[in-house]
Amino acid sequence: MNPLLSARKVSFGYGAGDVLRDVSIDLHPGEVTILLGPNGSGKSTLIRILSGVLPSRAGEVLLCGRPPRGYPRREMARLLSVVGQDPPVDFPMTVESFVALGRFPHQGFFGETTPEDRERVRQALAETDLYGLRDRTLSTISAGERQRATVARAIAQGARVMLLDEPTAFLDIRHRVAFYEIVTRMKEACGIAALVASHDLSLCAEYGERIILLAEGTVASQGTPVEVLTPGNVQAAYGLAVSCDRNPATGAIRVTPLRGMPAKNR
Amino acid sequence: MTPRARSEDGRLRPGPVFVLLGFALAASMALSASTGPVAIPPREFLDALLHGGAGTPARVLLSLRLPRAFLGLLVGGALATSGVAFQALLRNPLADPYILGVSGGAAVGALTVALFLSAGASPLLPLCAFFGAALSALAVFLLARRKSGVSPERLILMGVVVGAFLNAVIMLMVTLSPPGRIPGALYWLMGDLGLGTPRRVAVLLPYVAAGVVLLFLLSRGLDLLLLGEQAAFQTGLSVERVKTATYLTASLLAGSVVAVSGLIGFVGLIVPHGARALVGSGHRRLLPAAFLLGGAFLVLSDVIARTASPSGELPVGAVTALAGAPFFLYLLRRNGGKS
Ligand SMILES: Nc1ncnc2c1ncn2[C@@H]1O[C@H](COP(=O)(O)OP(=O)(O)OP(=O)(O)O)[C@@H](O)[C@H]1O
Ligand SMILES: [Mg+2]
Repeated sequence: MNPLLSARKVSFGYGAGDVLRDVSIDLHPGEVTILLGPNGSGKSTLIRILSGVLPSRAGEVLLCGRPPRGYPRREMARLLSVVGQDPPVDFPMTVESFVALGRFPHQGFFGETTPEDRERVRQALAETDLYGLRDRTLSTISAGERQRATVARAIAQGARVMLLDEPTAFLDIRHRVAFYEIVTRMKEACGIAALVASHDLSLCAEYGERIILLAEGTVASQGTPVEVLTPGNVQAAYGLAVSCDRNPATGAIRVTPLRGMPAKNR
Repeated sequence: MTPRARSEDGRLRPGPVFVLLGFALAASMALSASTGPVAIPPREFLDALLHGGAGTPARVLLSLRLPRAFLGLLVGGALATSGVAFQALLRNPLADPYILGVSGGAAVGALTVALFLSAGASPLLPLCAFFGAALSALAVFLLARRKSGVSPERLILMGVVVGAFLNAVIMLMVTLSPPGRIPGALYWLMGDLGLGTPRRVAVLLPYVAAGVVLLFLLSRGLDLLLLGEQAAFQTGLSVERVKTATYLTASLLAGSVVAVSGLIGFVGLIVPHGARALVGSGHRRLLPAAFLLGGAFLVLSDVIARTASPSGELPVGAVTALAGAPFFLYLLRRNGGKS
């Protein structure tokens, strides 16, 4: 099957140096891809390039056959949604109107809401366990609840490709699992392609079909969790000794850090 | 399910709020029209309103007081909506229409007329103030612009720089002017609705109407800008286009108003906060609510300015600042600068 989003040999730098070098990835419909890598390895940068916020310096990005920066904005937002690490909203906005902004690319420029819009917003709120908080303003809910609201906004946007930058960083363990369950459900029901940047190695192994491990701006390893999550790969990328075994209950790879001073790898 | 007593913004239902705001505005305008040295009995008041009339009360009402009340409405409404737009554009609830140097440019324009062209109130004064405001707004925008676009931080920075430079120019012009040349201009700098003639109102009306309607058309884009530029872009907004349109519209709105009534502070800063408390942050409601509230607030302030001192009128800018500064401090203290 053709990938919905593909990057070929993408390179990028904010200044003179390279932040990304020759990164190639494919996101297929019905597949959850996990983007792993240590702090500063270029995960957020890659997501910015894939979503057209930044132009790549070299290489090519194709979203359904066209470069992201060649799309009219709304058309693109109907195909691709992003959960980024955005600044807080300093204005009194309710959770519900925040999530409803995700419907913008489906509405006229003045944002007339249709019954479908309202239904999608209601569903997104319910799925992220926020329906009871819909009338609260963003500044009066917790960090994890705000993060769920951002995910809800992306769900309401209803795009087939979702790029999520550490969407579970502030979530408790139940809501982390709930997040991966939602993504899995959308993948099965709507055939979405999702790219999830994360630092949670074990949960990723549980839910991701494919893992891409970035290190210093290049793809250090990619493939199934079993292929990527080996002590050698993790040691090379993170500079940390780990043991990798199988979770006896689920059979998925389980990564456990070993105690002791992490060895420096840079 | 029972119908929700709150709107989708989680605020009071908008219908009654708008009725109330409209009523407050009408009441303040009626109060303004019936306040002054010449008493106008209610019957003559109505008569003059409905049929015109040739008597002194009718003339006072139609050619002095009503134009002044309408000018207050237009100026207050325009400042408030322009403030709403700048706050969304800069993602900063503490921004106001003057933050990017519009005021300094307008002042230099006005002083130029007073110094070099004619003494006293010249019909050229508003025009030159307008061009001064437009030029400085454009200069700030171009200076802040980079290949990657215009960032709020750079806009504010350039606004401060250009504003400081224009202030120096103002000081220079005032110091070097021959004595007695600019008292009118100084009064104007403090903000004044006394120029409210039917002609001025007619000149201002199209600018304000066009500006407010344009901002209203941009309201969904302004909602999205509150998310931050990257998120707005990824949600489907043509961020640069909306920002440029908002910037130009809000600057023209502020500039045209400054040209007619001088520098009236705090309306564009505090009225948006009041309106947000009433109808929420959604701009489709916020902009009209801010317009009505800003109009009512300024018309009332003008009534106070005209009646507070027995020895003459205060500049209305002094009244709005007297009321606005404490309110602003209250806002700052209440939530550390975040609305
Ligand atoms: N706006 C920027 N300007 C200059 N350099 C940047 C900018 N943003 C990121 N960088 C640099 O680019 C590199 C990659 O950053 P990026 O944010 O993509 O990492 P990341 O993998 O998302 O890290 P994290 O796990 O901490 O989120 C880092 O070295 C960072 O310092
Ligand atoms: Mg990151």
